[in-house]
Amino acid sequence: MSFDLSLIVETVPKMLAGVGLTFQLLGLSAFLGLILAIVLLLMRISGKWYLDWPAQLYIYVFRGTPILVQIFIIYYGFPQLEFIRESVLWPIFRDPFGCAVVALSLNTGAYVSEILRGGVLGVDRGVLEAGEALGLSTTQRFIYLTTPIATRLALPAYGNDIISLLKSTALASTITLMDMTGIARTIVAQTYAPYEIFISLAIIYMILTFFLQKFIGLIEAYLGRYTKRES
Amino acid sequence: MELLSGWWDDFFWGSVVVAQVFLASLVLMVIFGLIGAAAKLSGNRIVQKIANGYTVVFRGTPEILVILLLYFGSAITLTWISRLFNPDIKFVDVPPFWAGTVAIALIVGSYATETFRGAFLGVRPGSIEAAKALGMSGLQVFFYIRIPEMWRLALPPFGNHMLSLIKDTALISIIGLNETLFVAKQAIGTTGKPFTMYIVVGLIYLGFSTVITLTVMALERYGNHTVRAR
Repeated sequence: MSFDLSLIVETVPKMLAGVGLTFQLLGLSAFLGLILAIVLLLMRISGKWYLDWPAQLYIYVFRGTPILVQIFIIYYGFPQLEFIRESVLWPIFRDPFGCAVVALSLNTGAYVSEILRGGVLGVDRGVLEAGEALGLSTTQRFIYLTTPIATRLALPAYGNDIISLLKSTALASTITLMDMTGIARTIVAQTYAPYEIFISLAIIYMILTFFLQKFIGLIEAYLGRYTKRES
Repeated sequence: MELLSGWWDDFFWGSVVVAQVFLASLVLMVIFGLIGAAAKLSGNRIVQKIANGYTVVFRGTPEILVILLLYFGSAITLTWISRLFNPDIKFVDVPPFWAGTVAIALIVGSYATETFRGAFLGVRPGSIEAAKALGMSGLQVFFYIRIPEMWRLALPPFGNHMLSLIKDTALISIIGLNETLFVAKQAIGTTGKPFTMYIVVGLIYLGFSTVITLTVMALERYGNHTVRAR
């Protein structure tokens, strides 16, 4: 058994060629997922059962099933349904990239909406009462008081979810996409050197995770700049 | 529904495999988590460093990568080792069941490490002092005070770890474990109905998640039965 260093030097640039696709999947799904999460959050806190219940059901289903199954239902399953093949959305579902983005967004949206709800529920009642006493309307209180405080409270958990999302993008390789993991799997199939390839790729992912964490830490520090205690 | 006739028993046995992987990985996950937490809480710097390395690596790497690495890597390593004793051996096959089970247990165990560590540190010092003042021995304090309080603190995140485990079992189909997703692939080959088959898999997993969630809720109620509502 040997550990072939030259193979690593040779293959790491090949795998890095897929980092763009990984980032596209991450960025698009994070953005679309966040929009979905905000819609779900508003439905859940609307106080109207006909909005709250569908949102709860959605979250329950998407958090209760594996992301891989969701990806397979969308990529392999949807073409079975005629109304999807005939709809205007068909170009998206025909394309593995579109399917991966849709599946990742739908999945992360369910998780993030719960994170945001945690933030909203964490806002101190006293602040809202003070806003009411100052004559702010419900909408104004939500925009000027709840939103900034809830964002600050939810950010650490949101950061963890973004990192989970980065890891989930690796599953796009199961539906023929050539992201970093897809490329690595192809190389391993050719060279049969799983240690060299997969460990190098794991290190690349860990570096990305590290920078994502740093980046989120910077946003946290920025949003928390007024709440910092002097010591 | 008639489409599924003939496949029910396959899906049933696939679900049994999911349950087996879940239970085996649950035991391993608790063991890895406890070892990791003990290492992080130990005074030894080197042991702490190793435990930190463990959690950083397994929380920063995609699950599928860990599974693939363990499966193909262990096959290569075991082949190499067995060739030392018997050069005639061509290749050693590693069962996907165990490669996958150990992989997901290692991944979720890295999260459980933090949960157990946090729960240990979350036990109020006052409770321990009170117990000591009442004349309890070290072991009594551990079993009557520390464990029940840790249990209460760790249970909600622990429930999430169990949900992660059950969902991660789906990934093991990638290395050929004959669980429900794998069954669905075979069924699609014959029936040509991917949507129907994968929806069945989704419902099976939803069922598992529901059972786990309800169990954790019941355990939480039991764990808190001595805590009066404020």
